[in-house]
Amino acid sequence: MPTYLARRIGQSVLTVFLTLTTVFLLVRLAPGDPASAYAAPNATSADLARIREQFGLDDPLIVQYGLFLRDLFTGDLGTSYSFHSPALDVVLDRIPYTVTLAVSAIAVTTLVAVPLGVWMARRADTRRELGANVLTIAGQSMPDFWTGVMLLTVFAVVLPVLPASGFTSWSGLVLPTATVAVLQLALVSRLVRREMTTALASSYITVARSRGVRESALTWRYALANSAVPLVTALGTRFAALLNGVVVVEVVFGWPGVGSLVVRALETRDYPLIQATVLVTATLAILVQLLVDLAYPLLDPRVRLGKAA
Amino acid sequence: MAEVTTTAANTPTAESTPLLDATDLQIELITAHGVVRAVDGVSFTVRRGETVTLIGESGSGKSTTAMGVLRLLPEGLAVMSGSVRIAGRDVVADPGAARAVRGRTVSLIPQDPMTALSPVHTIGRQLGDALRLRHPGMSRTQARDKGVELLAQVRIPQPRTRWKAYPHQFSGGMLQRILIATALAAEPELLVADEPTSALDATVQASVLDLLMELQERTGIGMLMITHDLGVARLVSDRIHVMKDGRFVESGSAEDIVERPAEPYTRELLAAVPRLGAWDEDGDERTEPVAQGAAP
Ligand SMILES: Nc1ncnc2c1ncn2[C@@H]1O[C@H](COP(=O)(O)OP(=O)(O)OP(=O)(O)O)[C@@H](O)[C@H]1O
Ligand SMILES: [Mg+2]
Repeated sequence: MPTYLARRIGQSVLTVFLTLTTVFLLVRLAPGDPASAYAAPNATSADLARIREQFGLDDPLIVQYGLFLRDLFTGDLGTSYSFHSPALDVVLDRIPYTVTLAVSAIAVTTLVAVPLGVWMARRADTRRELGANVLTIAGQSMPDFWTGVMLLTVFAVVLPVLPASGFTSWSGLVLPTATVAVLQLALVSRLVRREMTTALASSYITVARSRGVRESALTWRYALANSAVPLVTALGTRFAALLNGVVVVEVVFGWPGVGSLVVRALETRDYPLIQATVLVTATLAILVQLLVDLAYPLLDPRVRLGKAA
Repeated sequence: MAEVTTTAANTPTAESTPLLDATDLQIELITAHGVVRAVDGVSFTVRRGETVTLIGESGSGKSTTAMGVLRLLPEGLAVMSGSVRIAGRDVVADPGAARAVRGRTVSLIPQDPMTALSPVHTIGRQLGDALRLRHPGMSRTQARDKGVELLAQVRIPQPRTRWKAYPHQFSGGMLQRILIATALAAEPELLVADEPTSALDATVQASVLDLLMELQERTGIGMLMITHDLGVARLVSDRIHVMKDGRFVESGSAEDIVERPAEPYTRELLAAVPRLGAWDEDGDERTEPVAQGAAP
């Protein structure tokens, strides 16, 4: 177990490092020039050269990378071009919002999708189940932009019960959460339905039924416990994805998370900010994945960490 | 639970009402390849203290009959007709009756021990649940003590330490014995045993059969036994029904069927199946061959 953990952490660090390196190179190799983004419209080529020098972009790529690494190991990710403050701090300021939205969306998704999926599995192929199924597919196919604008129109404009934008009180969390959850809901409830349908048809369920175990216990104790690994995997993956920020939803609702920050960093070619964002979100995502993996043996005793799963 | 335990023992007609009385039982299975009539009008009776055996080649409909008796075939994919009375209550006509008798009046020893227990729950949890369903007042500790005792009865070594083990930590033969213990936890009056010894090696097989017969002598339990093995059938049965393509081709006392088989099909079964104890080469790990495709 300790060796497993050490190896996994080593792998994680390597993954983050490689991701960061790739991003470092890609932003610099992509066409476009930060200097022109920050120069005055009538800037001369001398002005541009001076900005490039100030940003350290006039050095050869390999030298830039070396300096980047040197600073990285001291925890310095450079100064954001557009915020004029340490890039890492800019990102870390946004992280609580992103984590709040991600946790809230995953919690709502779980609380709704699990009972819904179980219900669909129990009622498989009845007319009402078909209706629910169609609805979830609709939810899944709806662009989050559209869902967001719909919810915004209904609950903030037509019936002004919820704030339309920003995060000034907890009620500001409701609409962004709902928008993200609608998409996740469809994916997760259909996964629960599939897994539960398989589990409920298993031999151990029939045998437990022969012992007089009630249908509710068969469903919630036996079948659900046997669906836990794929369910937790899916929820973990979704959660990790949400930690990267939900760009469209954040923009629609003016949510000050990492997603809207990324858009701004890309638009302004703010290299240090892009790099800091990637470092933080990749680390979070990998951490979540690690926790999910560590949970497997608790969910299924046949899984042994470090062995092929 | 408000279920009345209308068991044969405490009704006035206890002696005359058979534990199990199937009349013209027909079961059609809806499969991907159309409707299969897996059981085609069979009638049989099991009284207390009796063992009635169904024997027949793979795919002849034995398991379908057993599962139908307990109404455990998937609703919507299996169509039953005729009647199956368990302690007087018709489970074909009344799904509630089936729920009421399962785990109380009747229990099942399933055919494939490898898939019959939930892989993510300990065997103690599953056996303990069975005990506590039967005795709602029982505490977890009491259930554990009783369960350990049952495991010892079916010769699981170190039952107390094994209580917390998971199904994948046991061999097929041990799982089959754990399933027997779980079935006995219900203290049933009728035991439906679908090849209860098929995954056991010869010595354990004999001792498990001994256990079941001793239990029967002591408690007067009735048994519907399913087996491939005429040696086993002869040893334990009062009556044998020989099954082929969902029908009984021959029925009679154990001795008549084994010593004086009338049907060529029965004689083939006699010739094909080795005697008790002749299949111990691969020992405890033996699992049942897949049933598919063997039907004529
Ligand atoms: N789930 C299923 N899907 C399709 N056909 C099935 C299914 N279960 C049983 N059958 C069919 O029903 C018939 C009876 O099968 P059953 O399992 O009752 O036989 P069996 O006598 O118990 O065989 P075995 O000795 O191999 O256990 C066979 O023709 C089989 O192919
Ligand atoms: Mg069978």
